Amino acid sequence: MNPDDPDAPKLDAKGASRRKFLRTAVAGAAALTGVGAATGMEFDVEAMFQGHFRELSREDLDRVLERLAKKYSARYAKDVKVSATGPIDGVVFGYGLDISRCIGCRKCVYACVDENNQSRDPQIQWIRVLEFEREKVMRGINLEDGNPYYDHEEVPAPDKVYLPVACQHCDDSPCTQVCPTGATWMEPDGIVVIDYDWCIGCRYCMAACPYGARKFNWAEPNLPAEDVNPNMHLLGNRPRGKGVVEKCSFCIQRVRDGRYPACLEACPVGARKFGNLLDPKSEIRQLLATKRTFVLKAELETHPKFFYFWG
Amino acid sequence: MADTEDGEGIEKRVQGATWTVLGGALVFVLMLFSLQCPHGEDGSRADYPKRTLPPEPEPVLLAGPEPSDDYFPCSDCHDETMKVDPERRAMEEDHEDIEVVHGDLWCLQCHSAEDRDSLQLADRTHVAFGESWKMCLQCHGQRRQDWPTGIHGKRTGHWWGPKEVRTCIECHDPHAPRFKAIEPLPPPRRPEAILSSTAAASSVPAQEVSDEP
Repeated sequence: MNPDDPDAPKLDAKGASRRKFLRTAVAGAAALTGVGAATGMEFDVEAMFQGHFRELSREDLDRVLERLAKKYSARYAKDVKVSATGPIDGVVFGYGLDISRCIGCRKCVYACVDENNQSRDPQIQWIRVLEFEREKVMRGINLEDGNPYYDHEEVPAPDKVYLPVACQHCDDSPCTQVCPTGATWMEPDGIVVIDYDWCIGCRYCMAACPYGARKFNWAEPNLPAEDVNPNMHLLGNRPRGKGVVEKCSFCIQRVRDGRYPACLEACPVGARKFGNLLDPKSEIRQLLATKRTFVLKAELETHPKFFYFWG
Repeated sequence: MADTEDGEGIEKRVQGATWTVLGGALVFVLMLFSLQCPHGEDGSRADYPKRTLPPEPEPVLLAGPEPSDDYFPCSDCHDETMKVDPERRAMEEDHEDIEVVHGDLWCLQCHSAEDRDSLQLADRTHVAFGESWKMCLQCHGQRRQDWPTGIHGKRTGHWWGPKEVRTCIECHDPHAPRFKAIEPLPPPRRPEAILSSTAAASSVPAQEVSDEP
């Protein structure tokens, strides 16, 4: 990005001089050590010193989005769009799941993987479907009893109950409170998001999350180009790197455009419900008004916006 | 007087304590602000362009699955020449492939004997096959309440915007409405397996297993 370029977005004087200084300094260091030339590694100053998502000016943000779209388009040989579509006024998202319907088929899990560009190997899955003994679960759900590794020829298996668990988008989220870099926070529409550029991989948030909803990239994620979903959001399904945490974002790239999340559309039994908690006529409010609902680990007072119900 | 002096002394001490408490509270409040300010009130961007919801369009009711190739109108066979036998019986010659696992029903409780190409409600009014949900909701009162509000049934499209609403028969076989068991997609890899695949990816040789004691 050349500051002399007339097409380049205008920077304030301070920003321009700081960037120019950094670029010069890094170029000088590279020339001295011969690192850049010897390894052929491209060092992207813009990417390295990119401002925090919440601190970027509109122009900075547009430039970041453009740079990322270009980078991913080249990497996957696809026309990738990266957006940072903001929240909608008067909308707070909530999710409902009918556990009397869920059959444990895991179609939601794989729809989520496809939609949200999760690593195929090492395997990362944002949704975990837990299997419980019906007898036991009737006396109260203990997540420790849930088995995600069930492998039956057919589901539902007799006398079993299934409970898919992903990020609960808590209103009082422990994960965001422990993040030392402010890389994860709750948006005004209630979605708990992660800025992958600011995540330092300390995994405090994973320790803090009572639901095991956050996943860590222990190795460089592997995402075949043909499987890439090119409709990306900066705070959602854009490709992650090694050493960062990721999790369900309620399909931020879809729901902020008014669409249903991918898991909901994949569910063959219609167990999944989604909508605006501030709209009394929405599906989620209707079910909260008429069904017996519960949240996981209510005693922790994390106030999840993911509600389970018995339809 | 000594009493007055003591009283003033107490008053001064109380005043001093009050100031300490107030001062402490002020420092505490300032600390709270200093903790919150860097991230903004809700940790969000201040310069998100304002977005509001447009009016929501009416949901689109899907008429039902497309008739398959082997579908043909009932009246092709059940015409005037075929006498109606209202006797409840097992269908042994025709329709032997249809097994009714649906309460205590049999054919003519839903299918009209008078107009073979329509269904018949309990009050004997006829409804088209395309509106079969009217049939279902006669008995399934809970669904009558939950399906129109979207709590029961599958919808796709937009939570706010055009959406497709499935009618009963798109998910349930009316003759045997309970869902059939299906094959689940593969279970997640266990952590051990993930670690070994990572090791393989980074070309670290896997630990060799020796047969020797």
